[in-house]
Amino acid sequence: MKRYNLLLQNIPDFVKHLQAQGEVLAPHTKGDNSFSFDKVTDANNVILDYNRTLQSIRKFFLPPTERLLNYSLTENTFTKVEIENNQRIFLGVHSYDMQAVLKLDFNFSDRTPEVNYLKRRENCTFIGVSFEPDDFHFSRSVGITVEATEGFDIFLNRHENGYEVQVLTERGEGIIKGFNALENAPELAETNRQFKNKIKFNHNRLPEVMEQSWKSPVWDEVAKRCVGCGTCNLVCPTCYCFNVVDNVDLSLKDGSRDRHWDGCMLNSFAAVAGGENFRETLASRQRHRIYRKFKYITDKTGDPWCVGCGRCAAYCTADISIVEIINQLSDEFEQNYLRKSAAPAEQII
Amino acid sequence: MTLSTQEHNPRELYYPEMAEITAIKQYTELEKWYEITLPGGRDLEHQPGQFAIFSLFGIGEAAISICSAPSKKGAFDICVRKVGMLTEKLHQLEIGQKIGVRGPFGTGFPVADFKGKDILIIGGGIGIVPLRSLINHVIDNRDDFGRLVILYGAKNPQELLFPDELQKWNDDPRIEYQVTVDQGSPEWQGNTGVITTLIPGLDLDLDNTIAAIVGPPIMYKFVLMALKSKRLPDENIYMSLERRMKCGVGKCGHCQINDSYVCLDGPVYHFPDIKNLPEAI
Amino acid sequence: MTTQTAPKTKIKIAYFDFTSCEGCQLNKLNLENHILDLLEHVEIVEFREAMDDKADSYDVAFIEGSISTPTCVERIHDIRRRAKILVALGSCASIGGINAMKNLQPIEDVREIVYGEDKYLFPTLPAMPLSAIVKVDYEIHGCPMSIPEFLQVFKALAMGKAPIKPDSPVCVECKLRENECLFDRGMVCLGPITRSGCDAICPSFGQFCTGCRGLVPNPNKNAMLDILTDHGLSLQEAEKRLLLFNSYQHPDTFK
Repeated sequence: MKRYNLLLQNIPDFVKHLQAQGEVLAPHTKGDNSFSFDKVTDANNVILDYNRTLQSIRKFFLPPTERLLNYSLTENTFTKVEIENNQRIFLGVHSYDMQAVLKLDFNFSDRTPEVNYLKRRENCTFIGVSFEPDDFHFSRSVGITVEATEGFDIFLNRHENGYEVQVLTERGEGIIKGFNALENAPELAETNRQFKNKIKFNHNRLPEVMEQSWKSPVWDEVAKRCVGCGTCNLVCPTCYCFNVVDNVDLSLKDGSRDRHWDGCMLNSFAAVAGGENFRETLASRQRHRIYRKFKYITDKTGDPWCVGCGRCAAYCTADISIVEIINQLSDEFEQNYLRKSAAPAEQII
Repeated sequence: MTLSTQEHNPRELYYPEMAEITAIKQYTELEKWYEITLPGGRDLEHQPGQFAIFSLFGIGEAAISICSAPSKKGAFDICVRKVGMLTEKLHQLEIGQKIGVRGPFGTGFPVADFKGKDILIIGGGIGIVPLRSLINHVIDNRDDFGRLVILYGAKNPQELLFPDELQKWNDDPRIEYQVTVDQGSPEWQGNTGVITTLIPGLDLDLDNTIAAIVGPPIMYKFVLMALKSKRLPDENIYMSLERRMKCGVGKCGHCQINDSYVCLDGPVYHFPDIKNLPEAI
Repeated sequence: MTTQTAPKTKIKIAYFDFTSCEGCQLNKLNLENHILDLLEHVEIVEFREAMDDKADSYDVAFIEGSISTPTCVERIHDIRRRAKILVALGSCASIGGINAMKNLQPIEDVREIVYGEDKYLFPTLPAMPLSAIVKVDYEIHGCPMSIPEFLQVFKALAMGKAPIKPDSPVCVECKLRENECLFDRGMVCLGPITRSGCDAICPSFGQFCTGCRGLVPNPNKNAMLDILTDHGLSLQEAEKRLLLFNSYQHPDTFK
């Protein structure tokens, strides 16, 4: 691995160097206090020092609204939609969002590979950047450190007056080639940034906690505070549920079949045409959401499907925290199960 | 990370194939039967119990069970209850018109494992639709199976589907067919009562009988209780579950029951696999 | 090739207004970019804002405004008899809207305040959505009615299919547009429990949601009140905020 030093004043030039090689997508300010990943048009507007973007880079691979096909009502025929896979360079991605992309790669390759997602994932370069964990980040608790480099081609590790540049892949070397405003790598002490927000158990014990939590009172308690707005689903970088609807032009001659993000917290997510709703209560929907992150896929892959970005809690207007939920379930598990572990399981359930 | 899209055919996931409606029968006010022919008369190559996703442009898509057996060649059948946007419009279509088809999807009845067994069909309401695929498979391969017992329950005599076939099942000496309706009519001379009332009187070879159950969500619990008191082993029970489906390929999340995608792992389940699956039954 | 989902004939439509500001109807005339396309599919047989003619029957009647007098009740029954499909247009018609705030006080007091000593000339009823009196087939919510939803319903009806009835909250549309949450800009917003279908138009322009499209089905109102009070409103302010458009459906929400 090659290492360099990038001084803060040289960052705009670095961004311009990237722009010469492809479309660059990076964090920008959005609104008063937020950030969003957008196409770079002015290198000076890129923000590398940010807490989190409103949406993760998932939106570039699974767009909020996506046209699946176009059709003609008069001809009763359809045409395919070209899926773009131009060279794209993602600059300033946090480790947890990179991990989330790797998880989505699994979901969209598993069992029935989906070309729409997989084709958009081609020709992407990822340049990571370190972050300072805030009150909501807890990625360390799900096994993702600030400095985790898996998935990145280049990683930028912040230090006092710039970034340590770690070139991790051949693609990364190709990208950095010709950019001369780099210094020799700084001598840095091993960085291992600390998180204030923590899940109390090691994440590999959480499936066991979930196993015992189906009937927990925690679900009803959370449901009392939850309005079911779906925000936690819609900002989650590892959520990928969607709905499909047909939209017709005002001519009523042509239209498109479109998919858009959906969320399992929403009222009619599991309702069928006949009227039956298979997850009618907010409590059962909260449980499904948490189990999707810590049990169902985890049982199959061994990994939690939550990356600890903290978005679901940071953007929840009711201040519902996934870490609190997990910790309450863990407390219950400890009280009801661990301390009575001598008793046969039937008596406890 | 390099991801390849070469190994699979991109057409298969969300692009429908345009198929032609080649026959229609109206069974009840709400239910119509259609024969669908794929381009060139290609077989759908489905298993009994599988479904496909049907679409009309401008209206949308819906998952519908296939109700013909794989032994029917050159076309396949569906039977559609008018309950939603797509099915409402589908009911207005005529012979010769085209609809989009994606599939077949899901896991059907493992008919190869049923060979040599007695088959007990328990269908409630439109649950008889996916079961017709299995029934016809058994009829068309009659010597591969033991007894064929069909229990069919409907709300009232007007709601009985496949009326022409019911008569054939009734007349066939190799089919033990019983039907009941919740509410009779002046002309109705058959059984009245819920479908579970037909179960206690059955004489079953317990170790050699496979039960296939499909019906409204409320029905399963009671049928399972009745079969339990007959001492039919759980391993011999299969059932098909209905959930909301959008993509059919295990992505959109709507049909998920716990960790199981009904569109991939179901709709037909082996009862022991879902017995302890919360929210399933 | 048969055209199986494309419409075949023009539909006869009519517009009527009840107790309202008529803003929804004007909003419809504002559909400048679309109006010629719309007219391809319809024959307008009654529209007071735009024409004088009268007709005996309609495929679709679009109706704006609340029911608030005995005369309104008679008229709406008459329109219902002549309309194959009846669509409530805008909050007053779909949920009672602002008009229904008067229901929070005794009806005689309201009559006195508004009409003074001439009140005997003006019989009045509590303000009601159309659905309180007649069967309403579809609703286009919003104050004024949402143009994207109007077009969605219109196209569906012209194609002879049931329009989608949105039941998710405005937050969903905000998140799809990646709007910064207004709570993070120090505002309080009713987006979390207000029915979507407006494409989150107000939050997208920095204005908090006032709940004009009515609440989602099965709203968790107590949780919403907690959210509002946790973000700085007094309980009384929070209740007022929720009642602005939702007095008819939820008059005793906070009792």
